[in-house]
Amino acid sequence: MSHEVEILLVEDSAEDAELTIRALRRSKIANEIRVAEDGAEALDFLFCRGAHKDRTFVHPPRLVLLDLKLPKVSGMEVLRAIRADERTRAIPVVVLTSSKEERDVIEGYKLGVNAYAQKPVDFEQFAETVRQIGMFWMLINQAPPSGAFVANTAPAK
Amino acid sequence: MTWYSKMTAAGALLILACIGMLSFSSEVHSEYDRAWVHHTYVVVETLQMVRIDITQAETGQRGFILTGQDRHLEMYAAGVKQVRQDMRELADLIADNPREQEAIQRLDALIAARLAELGEGIEVRKLGGLLAGVETVTNASSGEKRMGQIAAQIAEMRQTEDKLLSSRLDTAEASTQKIKVVIVYGNALAILILLVKGFVIHWEIGKRKLAEKNLMQSNERLERRTAELSQTNTELESFTYSVAHDLRAPLRHIAGYSNMLVQDYGPQLDAEGLRCLGKISTGAHQMGRLVDDLLSLSKIGRQKLSIQDTALDELVADAVEELALEYAGREIEWRIGELFSAQCDPALMKQVFVNLLSNAVKYSGKREHAVIEVGQATQNDERVIFVRDNGAGFDMRYVGKLFGVFQRLHKARDFEGTGVGLAIAQRIIRKHGGRIWAEGEVDHGATFFFSIGLPANQPSAPTEALIVEEVIHVA
Repeated sequence: MSHEVEILLVEDSAEDAELTIRALRRSKIANEIRVAEDGAEALDFLFCRGAHKDRTFVHPPRLVLLDLKLPKVSGMEVLRAIRADERTRAIPVVVLTSSKEERDVIEGYKLGVNAYAQKPVDFEQFAETVRQIGMFWMLINQAPPSGAFVANTAPAK
Repeated sequence: MTWYSKMTAAGALLILACIGMLSFSSEVHSEYDRAWVHHTYVVVETLQMVRIDITQAETGQRGFILTGQDRHLEMYAAGVKQVRQDMRELADLIADNPREQEAIQRLDALIAARLAELGEGIEVRKLGGLLAGVETVTNASSGEKRMGQIAAQIAEMRQTEDKLLSSRLDTAEASTQKIKVVIVYGNALAILILLVKGFVIHWEIGKRKLAEKNLMQSNERLERRTAELSQTNTELESFTYSVAHDLRAPLRHIAGYSNMLVQDYGPQLDAEGLRCLGKISTGAHQMGRLVDDLLSLSKIGRQKLSIQDTALDELVADAVEELALEYAGREIEWRIGELFSAQCDPALMKQVFVNLLSNAVKYSGKREHAVIEVGQATQNDERVIFVRDNGAGFDMRYVGKLFGVFQRLHKARDFEGTGVGLAIAQRIIRKHGGRIWAEGEVDHGATFFFSIGLPANQPSAPTEALIVEEVIHVA
């Protein structure tokens, strides 16, 4: 278990990624954190293709922390792809973004996001937000059993 | 229609009415004239008849004298009877003319004398036989003379009647001529007036069309301008939003990394190093709040009001509760009066109370016994809400700056804050079509008043544009 990716952090800003990882590590919530710098890389990882073709759907990440403003494939498109496929549909996705635009919030929920949080400017608040999100999804939330969504589904395209 | 054009129309109508009346009266008049002409003809004809009938009487008398036959006597009697009837008719006909009456008396006398002569001749013939009778006819030169006088009298009377006829015809002709002139010129004048009137109407229509065209053009210009303004407004709003939004990431990094520096390298830094880092952190923190406030302000600008009947008391209670952290540990006397219900957006109106009360809490922070009052009042027939505190107050000279974005009347060291709260409150009130204003005195507290207005009179685009301009200028 310890070598499986626990959190997929989809974040194009290296600084935000570093701050998020630091907050998660300091709260001792997760060690195996994978950063995808754009939407395309995130999809490759989640759908076990390209550079990640050796991965399997048996061990999906326990949480996807998704930024919305991303190069190549946007956060909303990543979310849509995750929810559209049986094998990835159950993965918890939390949007963590700068935008609190009502439009984005509504669109996120329409696409089936599990939670939506805004990145606070203040670092203390930011760290606390990340800690609480991690705490809930990694420690409190009951994830589906490994491989539960793999058996009767179509292979990856 | 203008006064002038009404007058011309009335003038034309009056002229036409006069012509109509004149035509009618002239018709009546000429009928009268015609009657008189006819009357004259009848008189002339009757005079003629007198002559014929007296001649018949004479002829009958002579025939009787010559033949002694009753047939001639009957003819004579009929002639006499006829003449008398003619004379009666004549007397009736010219009863109106005193001069003619004299003439008729003369004629009457002549005829009576002649009839007497004729009667005498008949008597002689009856008594004295043929020869005596014939003698009365042949010897009586006076009979011839009498008949000549009668003819002359009739001729004279006819002449008089002819003159009368001629003068009556002339009068009729002249009055007809006058009427004709009046009708022709009157009609011409009326037609002229109507033509002028038509021309004036045509001209006025042209003028009106031009005015309408101008109005339409300026309306179009106004609409275009409004559309432009509204577009600019939207652009400014989204510009504000994206600027504020994009500022957040670098700010978060400044705050985050200075925090990391303190956490990871704190022990290696001296007091001065730590103080500088603290300043960076505080600066980023402060700027973060400004950016967030700016985002709220821009969000209110873009937000649609969701109006419903709202109990303002409840909003105040919620606002006071929401501010609990801000006044924790302070002694504040809340005096909250009864408030009316209003048609407004409850979420936004609550924000107004939160901002005004937060202001009151903040600026009464240096009072040992702070008093914050919320109530309603009536000013100039308008129901208003007021929020009063006994705090630091402000100098009325600067009241104009109170509601400006990022405008502060106090030093940041004395009272922290971004200076957006009142701007947001003002924006919400204006969006509701209401007004907000303040009264205050340094060290004697401040009172904020606002009216909610009606949802129907939402402020027009230019007012909104001005506010946005203000925001952008600062951003």
